[in-house]
Amino acid sequence: MKKMFPAEELARDSRFVRNRIEDQIFDPRNQALSQREMGSAKLDPNRPAAAERARALMHGIFTGEIQALEGAGRTTFDFDETQVPLALKLDMARQCWDESRHCEISVKLGDWMGSEIGEFAEQTFLYEAACADDPVLRLTGVNRALEGLAIDVFNTMKEFGELSGDPVLAFCEDWMLADEVTHVKMGSDWLRRLTEDDPERRERALEFQRTVDKLFSLGGFRGETEENPVHLARRFRELAGFSDDELEELVKVSEESKAEAEAMSAAIQQGA
Amino acid sequence: MPEPSKPRSAFAPWDRRELPGLFDVEESAKRVGHYKWIEIKLFEALGGWVATVPELDVKLVLGRHCYHHAWHAELWDKRLPELREMNTDRLNVAPNDELVAFVDAMREPDAPELTIEKLVGVYRVLIPRKIAAYTYHLNGTSTITDSPTIRSLNFALQDEFQDWREGEMLLQSLIETPKDVERATRRAAELEVLMLAAGGIAGRGTLGDATEDLVPPQGQGSPAEGVVA
Repeated sequence: MKKMFPAEELARDSRFVRNRIEDQIFDPRNQALSQREMGSAKLDPNRPAAAERARALMHGIFTGEIQALEGAGRTTFDFDETQVPLALKLDMARQCWDESRHCEISVKLGDWMGSEIGEFAEQTFLYEAACADDPVLRLTGVNRALEGLAIDVFNTMKEFGELSGDPVLAFCEDWMLADEVTHVKMGSDWLRRLTEDDPERRERALEFQRTVDKLFSLGGFRGETEENPVHLARRFRELAGFSDDELEELVKVSEESKAEAEAMSAAIQQGA
Repeated sequence: MPEPSKPRSAFAPWDRRELPGLFDVEESAKRVGHYKWIEIKLFEALGGWVATVPELDVKLVLGRHCYHHAWHAELWDKRLPELREMNTDRLNVAPNDELVAFVDAMREPDAPELTIEKLVGVYRVLIPRKIAAYTYHLNGTSTITDSPTIRSLNFALQDEFQDWREGEMLLQSLIETPKDVERATRRAAELEVLMLAAGGIAGRGTLGDATEDLVPPQGQGSPAEGVVA
């Protein structure tokens, strides 16, 4: 088996459909959609499209969990004990089990919410962040940035489950949220330990995290206003080792991401 | 009411544990080091394969089993210093080059259409060998002096049996044609030959020597001599 497995070779059965996140974000049809008066972008059970959006988000969570499983699995294999401590590999193996369980939960929840595997497209950007050559970059890109996003998403879904009177959804998201806090904390702890005597490596890793965070703010998907479908789960992020400064930076990154996406979308519209 | 000062045996009547065992501390540490090595190689392979298998149920099972074997590696890693091996990397080795060759061959399949080959290596060849080696150790070691190893062996064996069963069931559900049967059989045979050369996960003598305790009948020499004659 080769080391460093590329995203385009991720193995899937025939139900799965793959597209690129850029195509989705910069789809010219988004411009027309954004001109419609749709009210708050927050997941709200009173909105007619809420159920469909929740199903789409749940499917996104499911494919994200598959890729998180694959990413953690590759980290157990791609690096030997001369490159990373055995304890880190053991943590990644534990994360494999957790992500595998999250896939199982997501499949059951998808059924519960009325969607099917493959109903929505999959993008592989999560796994791509798990392909870095430096294991510390994987820890910041995946465990801190992406699993951090998972904290925000699961918290949003949990609140949606509570608001919409769906105890199954709220129950499952609560359990997955607990695991994600563990994974992010794992990333925070390993980042500190592995870069203790190497501030340059730490800075490179944190820069990679900022890049992934910006990418995963998905043009305003995550933020702290009513316009953001997913909100920053400050309390859980603090539990996972995020400082106040890091949280403020995340808010800033999300705002920048939204402004850039709007500018690009407008440019596409003008060019059309 | 029982008399509290009445002397009682340190061992209850049903506790038949005994002191003698097959392994001294050094031999036990050596075996535990080999166990750690093979568990690491196995959990790395299972983790690495997750991305390469298209079958969703197999993908999720590999993710779960990856942790089981990582946990076993951790158990053995923690046991080594208790067996006077403070440098836990020193004994984290294969027993011989033949087992390295087996592991390389077992981990080699990469392509998405080779799920049967991947699973056969783990669930029809390696895990049965692990069950055998762990059971031999469990049955042979001192039930009093080495009870911490016994405890870990029992935990590991519980996983091994369950994982073997689950892997075998996945294989049975994937093998649909006579050609698939041939693939699985051929793969198992190829790997068994390599494992045979290695002698098991702890090398030659993994399961002891079935002939070493035999007392040759008078005037007939040893069993080995008998074979030569």
